[in-house]
Amino acid sequence: MRSKVARRILAETPEETKIFVNLYADILVRIKQLLKEKELTQKSFAEKLDKRPSEINKWLTGEHNFTLKSLAKMQAELGEPIINVSKRVGFVGNENLKKHFTVYKNESVDPSIKFDEGQKTLRIPDRYQPLAYAGE
Amino acid sequence: MYFCLQIKIQVNIFELEIWDNEAKRCTFYTVREEGAEQNETDAFFEKYENDDTYREQIQELLSFVLDAIGDRHGAVDELFNRYENEVAGLPSHGRLHFGEVHYYFPNFPLRLYALKITNEIVILFGGGIKDGKTNQESSLNYKWIEACNYAKRIIQSLNDDTLIINEKDRTLLLFNGSSDIIL
Repeated sequence: MRSKVARRILAETPEETKIFVNLYADILVRIKQLLKEKELTQKSFAEKLDKRPSEINKWLTGEHNFTLKSLAKMQAELGEPIINVSKRVGFVGNENLKKHFTVYKNESVDPSIKFDEGQKTLRIPDRYQPLAYAGE
Repeated sequence: MYFCLQIKIQVNIFELEIWDNEAKRCTFYTVREEGAEQNETDAFFEKYENDDTYREQIQELLSFVLDAIGDRHGAVDELFNRYENEVAGLPSHGRLHFGEVHYYFPNFPLRLYALKITNEIVILFGGGIKDGKTNQESSLNYKWIEACNYAKRIIQSLNDDTLIINEKDRTLLLFNGSSDIIL
């Protein structure tokens, strides 16, 4: 069950709002988890970035918006990616048509996607077919 | 001349009811005071849904609760802001954390109080507009005290085993196995 009020508000919520909120949460969780993994406090992280701890706190508590620059700075210091941008990969299908598929790095590994033995083309299950299309 | 007004809020008998169990990673409960037409969380969302100034923010906050916490991450600490210094007399109990949903995007005015039971079970209370530095200094002080009192009774019920966590089904049950929880 879901609250009727919640269902109604969610139905009226624009898709872009949901995308924005999810991105915000993903980035926040990712940065905080990386800090934990690297055993960095906000203070020590600030020192590494040559920033004031209050400035880091503002990023992590949302008082300051993340910018591409601030994310790049954090990523460079943490040494691991914070955000991934999906890439399109071209390949040649069996019917000699150039095709593309998009790589979503955050998706879980799907072991059913593999090269057929002795073949150089990738076999993509039918459920992904809408993502692959004939290129020029 | 200064007047010091101390607000004491008595929490009456209340029901703990499921607010959402459709999200993939977390079940959300809410509280409904005995005889009340609406639970605390619905009342909060409905109040600001109908306010032009806050409609967009209430949509963001709801999406944060149901999509980001509910479907994507669960109630991980990274998305949950704990109150450690502000809550007087609230016993801590292992993983239990009283706080608020951590949606703080720049100048975000709304606060929604919550008690995290596990990463998969969260109790939502009411909330309001945070217009002061601390909860006590904000106009939502009343809601803050009310949420603290609900949280205290729930924590007490967990401590004395009146209330049991059923981790397998992501639910809360009374000691006798009933899901009709009146505290």
